[in-house]
Amino acid sequence: MTDYRQLISLLAGAGVEFILIGGVAAVAHGSTRLTKDLDIVYRRTEENVSRLVRVLAPYHPYLRGAPPGLPFEWSERTIWNGLNFTLTTSLGALDLFGEITGGGGYDELLPHSIRLHLFGVECWCLGLERLIYVKRAAGRPRDLEAIAELEVILEERERRS
Amino acid sequence: MVYLDEDSAMKRPKISIEPDPVIEAYKKGIDRTLVRQNLRLTVEQRIEELMKLQQFAEEVRRAGREAERQR
Repeated sequence: MTDYRQLISLLAGAGVEFILIGGVAAVAHGSTRLTKDLDIVYRRTEENVSRLVRVLAPYHPYLRGAPPGLPFEWSERTIWNGLNFTLTTSLGALDLFGEITGGGGYDELLPHSIRLHLFGVECWCLGLERLIYVKRAAGRPRDLEAIAELEVILEERERRS
Repeated sequence: MVYLDEDSAMKRPKISIEPDPVIEAYKKGIDRTLVRQNLRLTVEQRIEELMKLQQFAEEVRRAGREAERQR
């Protein structure tokens, strides 16, 4: 089980610059769907990558689904050599994205994000319209029902305002 | 207090979402009563509910595996 409270508090508390995306962002906007991992877009700057590596290190990040014993070093060098990582940690499943289809990286997504105050910290979450846009851009058939629900949420929100 | 920052929401660039016939078809299957119920919760409560649901799903899976073993 993924401890969303702990993961979000940990990252935000350590000053990691990130934006919530994916299923948890959808839940924050009102989705009723179950998701099993925390998806974030992290800012690719030296300071931020360093903070990210430091804060997650005690929670044993490892490539999710990779066979045990596969050499994987959780380090700044690994982050700079890659872009997106699907990880397992002792706090649960965590997906790190340097960039996402249809949205770009942290700096491109930030103007489309909203500030959330939760679990005693503040963090950014991708706005509902942009979340729909990037899910549409990803073009995955399994997302169709999730997109439909997000669009219903948008309609309900507009109906109420 | 838990809230969506309305100021940052107001400053966000507007995105136009064109209707897609496939997504429109999927919308017919969405239970709007559940969505409305969820929208009455705070963001923090929604994420807490997600964790409870995840815990429940794990428990059901575990029970399913156990039942399979006993067959």
